[in-house]
Amino acid sequence: MKQTMKIAKWELKKNLTNKSFLFSLFLTPALFLLFFFIPQLFDDSSESELTTVFLKDDIGAYETIENFVEQQPFLEWELVDTELPETDIIKQLNEHDNQAFVHLDEDSLAEHSFTVYTSDSIDSSFMSEVNVLSDPIKELQLERLELSDEQLAVIQAPFMFEVEETTSNAEATGGIEDVASEEELLSKLVPGIFAGIVLFSIVISGMMIFQSASQEKKEKIAEIILSSVTPNELMQGKIIGYFFLGIIQVAVWLGVAIPVVLWKIDMPVMQYLLVPEVLIFLVIAILGYLFFASLFVGVGATIEDVSTSGNFQGLVIMLPFVQFIFFGPLFSNPDGILAKVLSFIPFTAPGTLIIRLSLLDQWPWIEIISAIVVLFISVLLFMRLAGKIFKTGILMYGKNATPKEILKWMMQ
Amino acid sequence: METILTVNQLNKYFKDKQVLHDISFEVKRGEIMAILGPNGAGKSTTIRNIMGIIQPDEGSITFEGETSIPREKIGYLPEERGLYKNVKVKDIILYLADLKGYPQDKAKERMMHYLEKFDLAGKENSSVEELSKGMGQKVQFIASIIHEPELLILDEPFSGLDPVSQDLFKREIRELANNGTAILLSSHQMNLVEEMCHRLFMISKGKRIIYGDLNDVKQEYANFKCIIRYDGDQNVFNELPSVERIENEEGVVTLYLEKDVHVTKWLHALPETLNIYELTIDRVSLHEIFVDIATGEQNSEEGSVLQ
Repeated sequence: MKQTMKIAKWELKKNLTNKSFLFSLFLTPALFLLFFFIPQLFDDSSESELTTVFLKDDIGAYETIENFVEQQPFLEWELVDTELPETDIIKQLNEHDNQAFVHLDEDSLAEHSFTVYTSDSIDSSFMSEVNVLSDPIKELQLERLELSDEQLAVIQAPFMFEVEETTSNAEATGGIEDVASEEELLSKLVPGIFAGIVLFSIVISGMMIFQSASQEKKEKIAEIILSSVTPNELMQGKIIGYFFLGIIQVAVWLGVAIPVVLWKIDMPVMQYLLVPEVLIFLVIAILGYLFFASLFVGVGATIEDVSTSGNFQGLVIMLPFVQFIFFGPLFSNPDGILAKVLSFIPFTAPGTLIIRLSLLDQWPWIEIISAIVVLFISVLLFMRLAGKIFKTGILMYGKNATPKEILKWMMQ
Repeated sequence: METILTVNQLNKYFKDKQVLHDISFEVKRGEIMAILGPNGAGKSTTIRNIMGIIQPDEGSITFEGETSIPREKIGYLPEERGLYKNVKVKDIILYLADLKGYPQDKAKERMMHYLEKFDLAGKENSSVEELSKGMGQKVQFIASIIHEPELLILDEPFSGLDPVSQDLFKREIRELANNGTAILLSSHQMNLVEEMCHRLFMISKGKRIIYGDLNDVKQEYANFKCIIRYDGDQNVFNELPSVERIENEEGVVTLYLEKDVHVTKWLHALPETLNIYELTIDRVSLHEIFVDIATGEQNSEEGSVLQ
């Protein structure tokens, strides 16, 4: 174990002092944040464009409309009450950008249809925004009917359509339940996202194991190292070293991401993150890492030159990403038969379990525990097989191993 | 001299092919013991068995009488060797010392001493990829002796070295042996090793050919040979006494003499009519012995032991 830890420490140190690793360590969250913020920047710039809306008011609605528009924070409008003839205004619209004109006359009111003239170039969202004018005009129309306040209140009260699942607690009132289920969702989703990031990061660093094992062969240092440690110690040292590298990676990413998320989104992330469920998510993520790491370290030891490796090794590298193909169906039906089957296949189990546990209201405990046990047994099995492949593969110089050779080593 | 390593009746098979046949030898403290043989003879396989990198199918290996091999007491320079590329020289040396369980402060001290000795002073902070191939080999050599091993195993230590570095390595290996380190080195370049080893084990196709003290081997197998650059009738050589074999090529003749020839008497037998430009007389080299034995020109089916 002492030798294993020495190797783990070395692998960690080797990467942490490597400029390109450090560069990517900080560049990755920076890129994510950049992609997160760039669309927002564009949104901001388009929102700041002011649209001048000319109203020629023949029905006495201007004041109501003006009050209404002021109360809508998302409308970037400048209202102008105009008495100019229609032709003059239309001419003006042709000469300027971001202008619109609506003639509010009795005929249009009676026909329930108003014509809107706009400049050639106008904010794309204006045509949907302009529909908000129907509310104050409707109000004016109702006022003209001289209804009583009660009648007005009845007519103006909106209808609500609330979804209530038959399995949910029928006694709770709709409003309270909404808040409760949202909280429940977040309390699962936040640890789920966290575990997803952990899994993603350590699978990425697991892929670095692949490179590290292959490099050991290519740089011909394996035999020197193996004169001091056993192949198993070397393999385990690598797995542990890259595990901690993955954890450091997650810590840096979250260290950058959490403050930004807290700043941009008003959500008590930490409150949802520090819950007991996180432990189960982490167990799944760590088992997932160990599974893929043993796969990679074994296969890495069979390849000297990645560029000439055959399809077989290439396929193995793609295996952790197979689970992403199923994310769509899993999201739409986290308790379906596909989700249940994928939970028991070690290649897809980590991702599947994390998604399912994030989305399901009630955890199917027996299924989860048996899936974790299956994953655990697969990890032990794969570690053994990887050990056998690693032992022979790492000392085979000059060529990549064929699938037939690998199979033979595994049977030994 | 105290025996450190004993290899006894080693047999190894790769698939159905036997690659080592009953290999037995010893390495003693303070001696340089050479395993010699052509490429593919089984030298590296023997060494890998000693290092525990592969397991023998039959036979035993003992270190100071114990069957468990203490890896921290052995220094090893494999034939296929390299270093991590993107790390500093001092980091890799200290890491390898650490894996042997050698104290870091002492390792640091020894590292600086050897870097200076090998003309690498000031390179400790350089990245390995900045080093030339020769420098890299020196760093590998330093790494193999950094932990003061009792037994140093060098597999083809001179391959790829320039003559200056070869001399440097030879000097250092001799010095280590003088200070009591047992050295086992393998090489296919027999002439290089001939001048420095005390005992040797010749191997071909996984079988022992000769094993024994260098001087004994030479006395037993290395007859005298006389090389003459001459002008005149070549038939005179056929009439000379005590000549086993003659190789004649464009004015240069090599005469292989019989085992118990008296050299000065034999020289007198050279005819006065012969016009000699150059004459050397010497024992045949290990290389020639090896070629002779391996190709069966001398009578040795089973191989011999001289002790």
